[in-house]
Amino acid sequence: MYIYTCEPNLEAMLSCIYDAWTSKRGHKNIKLMLEPVEQLTLFDEYIHVDADSEKVEKVMDAVNMKISPWFYRQLAYSSMAYEEDVLDNMYHCMILGFHHGPDALGMVQYADIMRHNEIRKRLGNEVNRFQEVLRFHQVGEVYIAHFEPKSRIAIALGPIFEDRMPSENFVIVDDIHKEAVVHHKDAHFYMYKLSDEELARLLQTEEENDSYTDMWKVFFDTIAIKERTNKKCQDNLFPMWARKHAVEMN
Amino acid sequence: MFEIQEELSLDKKLEILSDAAKYDVACTSSGVDRRGQKGMLGNSCAAGVCHTFAADGRCVSLLKILMTNHCIYDCKYCKNRISNDVPRATFSPEEICNLTIEFYKRNYIEGLFLSSGIIQNPNYTMEKMCEALRMLRMEYHFNGYIHVKAIPGASEELLYSAGLLADRISINMELPTQASLEKLAPNKTMTNIIRPMNQISQTIASHRLAIGKSAKMERAGINQKLTHSIFGNTVDKIEGGSSLFLPAERKDRDLRRPFAAAGQSTQMIIGATDETDLELIRTTQSLYQSFDLKRVFYSGYIPINEDDSLPEIGTPVPLLREHRLYQADWLMRYYGFFAEELLSEKNPFFDQKLDPKCNWAIHHLENFPVEINKAPEEVLLRVPGIGPTSVKKIVSARRYGNVNFEMLKKMHVMLKRAQYFITCNGKMLYRTPIEENFIRNQLTDTEKVSVMKIEGQTVQYKQMSLFSDFGLKAGG
Repeated sequence: MYIYTCEPNLEAMLSCIYDAWTSKRGHKNIKLMLEPVEQLTLFDEYIHVDADSEKVEKVMDAVNMKISPWFYRQLAYSSMAYEEDVLDNMYHCMILGFHHGPDALGMVQYADIMRHNEIRKRLGNEVNRFQEVLRFHQVGEVYIAHFEPKSRIAIALGPIFEDRMPSENFVIVDDIHKEAVVHHKDAHFYMYKLSDEELARLLQTEEENDSYTDMWKVFFDTIAIKERTNKKCQDNLFPMWARKHAVEMN
Repeated sequence: MFEIQEELSLDKKLEILSDAAKYDVACTSSGVDRRGQKGMLGNSCAAGVCHTFAADGRCVSLLKILMTNHCIYDCKYCKNRISNDVPRATFSPEEICNLTIEFYKRNYIEGLFLSSGIIQNPNYTMEKMCEALRMLRMEYHFNGYIHVKAIPGASEELLYSAGLLADRISINMELPTQASLEKLAPNKTMTNIIRPMNQISQTIASHRLAIGKSAKMERAGINQKLTHSIFGNTVDKIEGGSSLFLPAERKDRDLRRPFAAAGQSTQMIIGATDETDLELIRTTQSLYQSFDLKRVFYSGYIPINEDDSLPEIGTPVPLLREHRLYQADWLMRYYGFFAEELLSEKNPFFDQKLDPKCNWAIHHLENFPVEINKAPEEVLLRVPGIGPTSVKKIVSARRYGNVNFEMLKKMHVMLKRAQYFITCNGKMLYRTPIEENFIRNQLTDTEKVSVMKIEGQTVQYKQMSLFSDFGLKAGG
């Protein structure tokens, strides 16, 4: 088995798919994995692939022209997921896409498509969850939010919050993957890779709480009806992992 | 009772007025899709966004506050009634706007829910509420979601303004019959509630027609395809247009906003009077049909006031009954059921141990089992354990091949309920006798844990004993 590995970002993943596909070693003899690979196997050959803009363009063009732009968007979206097998799954979905056309993603009779749908659903839920629980702190004229997702979803949150607050300056910081969405008033957002030093400085902004944070806590406590207290229901709907930066819970 | 309003800080006011508003059920921010605009703050998402969940498990989506908890009425069930000695406060319009804007920018909320006690008279109160909303929309450029409570008895001009400024407008019905209203809310009359409700629904319909939409509100997902549902034959009633809001003075007409784009809703208290479940869901159904309401909310009565005509303080909140009523409400709105199918005069209350859909299914076993690969959508929707999302997935999968139980499991179909009512390629999951008693026992066991959770009991498991559980006696 030949195992192609790459860094977890869309450019590297598409380059990896390109190399695996053009190697002509047979789809069954190929596996694709994201780095870091935790457990190396003894009898497989590992091939590292770096991002290459030419390869990326070729894969993008092929999928967009020969399958459909919608199909490409679906795969690009699922590339944010943290699941180990996401890259391999993208590769196999692409094979099915070239064979059946864009409808392939509805053919849940294929295990790969079913898996793609599972990943997609979980990822969508994660994006929705952080759309809900992201909390901004005001630092001067800028609103800064920190969050710790499992998947690299900052780029999906960018357009959501740009639409919500088009005329505000805000930064959404992914503490785990060290990247940030930066939005200037009345402009389009962009992604920014953070250095350790920048991240450490940004982390201090979480201590910037003002009277509105305190009032929010007051509101959160008083809005619950004592006679209906239901801790289990609260825990089910608002799991512990999502609460870390929710100011009302701390 | 002394009131020193000037000395109250904003957080103290928030504490008093959110505490007073918490018994209102509606906290949804759904029903309207609106993109953000440069220079404004906020957008609106049709599915709604829950920002947090309070200690009672209810979602917090909107800043739910009263403008004031002063009230001239004396409704017996209400915490803010005039005869109660509670701390009172009033927000100024600026305070409401600042709180909404600052909370919204920090992503705490999706918008504002504004209700109020009655100060001086309904018109004065509604005027003040409109003033706050107008300031929020015009001066603070807030483009997020607003839900406003209409005050029964307020003038047409004011209700018309409120509808234009807000996304959803609601009038609390509180009690489903005139007799109950007379008993518990002597200052309110059914006419005062029904008339504006009718006017709002007609005005929404005419505004929708004017912008090229259908008169009826859109219903979500699969409901658009259902031919046989409670929303089927009400178009005439709404398009009749006999009681629109056509006030002489139309203060906010230049706003160029749709009138209550997210529709109207209402809420009813359950457990304070002795209506049956059948009466409640019939009223609900006729409200949906006549006024095209988006939602009817139920509020399990929480005894907070001492009164001979009300349940005693300390009476448990009827949470399970409320849960069953919501399940029935969903069945009517999304599954094509009618109130009369779920309950009858002979049997006017829901079975507390079994959900209404399972209950319906085991009384109609002649319709089952259905073949997953062939049954039409409206038949699949009536199978317990299969909802609109699962139906959509099944129908999509059927286009390319057969569906089996393994795939159903991955589609998150609730097989623990559905297995008694379906076949895949002609076979059931296990050997199952299609007998009412057998299936009822199986489903009751499945439901037991969730029933206990709602009733607040802890689920305990223990090793069965031959002697205490099976009555064996030790031989001597």
